Amino acid sequence: MVLKIRLARFGKKHTPFYNIVVAHARTSPTSRPLEVLGTYNPIPQPPRPGDTHGRPWKDIKLDISRARYWVGVGAQPSDTAWRLLSMVGILEPQYRISQIQNKVVKADSAAKSIIPPTQTRTPTAKQEGTNKA
Amino acid sequence: MPTRLRASNLPSTVFPCSSIRPQSIPQPARISREFSQSSCRQITQRRRKFYEWMNGPGRMLKDPLPHSTNYLGAYDKFGNLIRGTFQPKDAKDATPKAEAAEGVEGVEAKPDTSSEGQESADDLDAAVSRSEREEMQKKEDGTEEGRLVPETLEDLRPFPLNRYFRSQPVLSEELREAIYQFVKRDGHSLQLASTTFGVSNERIGAVVRLKQMEKEWIAKGKILAIPYAKAVLDMLPTTPHVKERGKRAITHEPINDLIVHPATRQQLFVPVAESRHFTRVDAGKAFDNNLLPADERIPHPELIAAEKDNIDGYSVSERQRRAQERLEAEMAEKNKKKEEKRQAELASTKTVPQRRWDFVFQDVSVDSVGRNGRDPKGVGWRYGLPHQDRKKGQVKIPTKVEA
Repeated sequence: MVLKIRLARFGKKHTPFYNIVVAHARTSPTSRPLEVLGTYNPIPQPPRPGDTHGRPWKDIKLDISRARYWVGVGAQPSDTAWRLLSMVGILEPQYRISQIQNKVVKADSAAKSIIPPTQTRTPTAKQEGTNKA
Repeated sequence: MPTRLRASNLPSTVFPCSSIRPQSIPQPARISREFSQSSCRQITQRRRKFYEWMNGPGRMLKDPLPHSTNYLGAYDKFGNLIRGTFQPKDAKDATPKAEAAEGVEGVEAKPDTSSEGQESADDLDAAVSRSEREEMQKKEDGTEEGRLVPETLEDLRPFPLNRYFRSQPVLSEELREAIYQFVKRDGHSLQLASTTFGVSNERIGAVVRLKQMEKEWIAKGKILAIPYAKAVLDMLPTTPHVKERGKRAITHEPINDLIVHPATRQQLFVPVAESRHFTRVDAGKAFDNNLLPADERIPHPELIAAEKDNIDGYSVSERQRRAQERLEAEMAEKNKKKEEKRQAELASTKTVPQRRWDFVFQDVSVDSVGRNGRDPKGVGWRYGLPHQDRKKGQVKIPTKVEA
């Protein structure tokens, strides 16, 4: 059985709140998990009193050493769990915005290089004309 | 200025105080009120009696007395102010001054006569308004003689049938400002403020917090309900602020009351050998092992230490030095604990700044759920337990404010 590190939704309507859990992959999201690693509150909290920058924040509670253990024995984090675990350095980040942007730029420039520009067509037409002649 | 104080300036016999005047003036009962939409034209006995009372003994209660409370208990059944009847000697001496002042004010007050002269046709009423006018003038002159005698405890009873209820004083505006400045500007501790001003610890904390909020609001340009606060404070007994440096503050309330611990609510008989030295510490332990002795549970244990120093015969400067030392040691320990707690929290949290918000990770332990996984202190939302938040008696009022 595959072990998953995933989120289990709690909380009322319009107030999501997640437990970060370790569970068997094929069990229901609401079922009792093997272990609750922590919680994730996706609602941004107002800036903390001492915060000079005044940035909103998201509250995450996580047993980091335990999460590291479960990843070590082969538990597979879901995309969201991967994102959270990569923030504390347990895993390599799956997606990086800069990487993806680089890829997009590369793909774009590659596509541009493949398609011949319209100006290059005119000499070919001339060539055709010469061939005919 | 209330219209009640305005009056005609007819020369007549002068009543030194408003309280001696006869109050039972026959006036026609009004049939309906201005604000009422219903046409209640019939005159019942109750209505008539009510208006009789309103125009007679109850007339003084319609408007607040300036610089004093105006409770029902301060009047006799004829509507006379009881404390006014026992005037100090200087009250009579004040009358010529008032008459002299009347001459100056006479020109200004003439328009009032034309407007109010018709309704106060009665001579008695005119006399009443005259005396009131004089009262007002005395105040305008800035003399303290126009002021009423300060209330006694008897006068602070709003409900005459309940003799045991007395209106309690509230903190005056100057005193609250002084407390705020003492704590914030001079940097004294809340405990010291409490003992200096004779106000309980909790009230000091509340005053500082609310004053700070008030100042923040003023800085933000919010509109405050100052006229309302002023009006209410004028009608209540207040604890004044003593500005002289050497003088002691007027005690607002008992500050060192022992809070009754639930463990001490039962009666306890502990047999103790006569030879044994049984102190308050032992008495506390007899009730509960974790119960501190009464000397340490009171809000101001430092006062006991100061008194002990006094008994031991230290000089004043020595006592002050020792008290200061104790205070500093206590504050140092408190700050150390606070700092340790802050450091521990910093060590367990990790902030990851992202594009829009910070992700704050707090390291917890999965073992906190306990052996059966049902410990309420455990991490995460609990499984298999219903919500209690719609249950009766669940308190949802926040108990602390993040500032």
